[in-house]
Amino acid sequence: MKNLNLITAPLRKANPITVLILGICSALAVTAKLKPAIVMALSVTVVTALSNLVISLLRKGIPSKIRIIVQLIVVATLVILVDQFLKAFVYDVSKQLSVFVGLIITNCIVMGRLEAFAMAHKPWESLLDGIGNGLGYGAILVIVAFFRELFGSGTLLGYQVIPQGLYDFGYVNNGLMVLPPMALIIIGIIIWLQKPEEEK
Amino acid sequence: MNDRYIFRYIIILVAIVSILLSAAAMWLQPYQKRNELNEQRINILKAAGITGVDNKNAEQLFGQHCTAEHDGDLPYYVIDDHITVVPMRGNGLWGPIWGYLGLSDDLQTVVGAVFDHKSETPGLGAEITTEQYQSQYDGKQLLRDNDNISVDVDAIAGATRTSKGVEEMIDRTLKTYIPYLEKQ
Repeated sequence: MKNLNLITAPLRKANPITVLILGICSALAVTAKLKPAIVMALSVTVVTALSNLVISLLRKGIPSKIRIIVQLIVVATLVILVDQFLKAFVYDVSKQLSVFVGLIITNCIVMGRLEAFAMAHKPWESLLDGIGNGLGYGAILVIVAFFRELFGSGTLLGYQVIPQGLYDFGYVNNGLMVLPPMALIIIGIIIWLQKPEEEK
Repeated sequence: MNDRYIFRYIIILVAIVSILLSAAAMWLQPYQKRNELNEQRINILKAAGITGVDNKNAEQLFGQHCTAEHDGDLPYYVIDDHITVVPMRGNGLWGPIWGYLGLSDDLQTVVGAVFDHKSETPGLGAEITTEQYQSQYDGKQLLRDNDNISVDVDAIAGATRTSKGVEEMIDRTLKTYIPYLEKQ
């Protein structure tokens, strides 16, 4: 299945964060807790998938002189829609994500896939490629957020998972985990673990 | 691909997009308004010492607890007949800060305080939204010095300007509200 590869490749071999090193900025900012990370991952997946689809449908008509402008209009529209949806239905998460939803538009993954893939491929393949890249980005976000929330706050999705007994023995949450530098270090560790596998 | 085509293309695209966005904004606005209103209710109740309120039960709990709402130049809310909650507006380092202050029946002590901000520095000025900072205000005596009324709390280290902003906001609010409330 060639098409299946479009979804699975960005998960590991061509992962936008760990291999292409795109979208790092938001990966550092929204991964202190699991819930905003999941919402961010879904939002980016929706935006990459739909913008890939729309641009692919329009690709033959887009005047090449203004193609970046057209791409920006499409992405910006989708981002505004996502932002409005979040504000209407998951207000608390939208407050936590604050500017980062709006900044999806500057996420290199979105524009990168439009230029590199959607402009030259059929709509169905582009949609799959968009979903794959969104999920690849999301997978890393969720992994990083899992470790940061677990060790930084002792909770997962807001529920206490580290038992009180451990705290009584003198265990303390690692405050550094909540700060952005630790996200970079965790991403670094993921890249380090992933590298030997690729070279095989 | 001549220029005429490019112009026509972009005008049609922008027209479609603007119709789409306006439609979405009109459809979602009631939901967003309700969320904002609920957040305000949650903050007012929190300033009055009632916690555990979330988006779902905010409307109901607010209806139960809020016994009077006063509009006008100096709006305030009365919670459970004896706590007065007043809104505050001020300036932090980078942008506006705001909040609610709950005052006891005799207007001598603070019941609770809630703060929020537009763009204070995370980890420094933004700490005013944390429980740790806000709980300092619980049960604090108002300090009266002639016309000036203030509350004495610890500032946040490294966030002098934001702390000063909060202090100024509270002093100014109390100075205008206390004489007004005492007359009521």
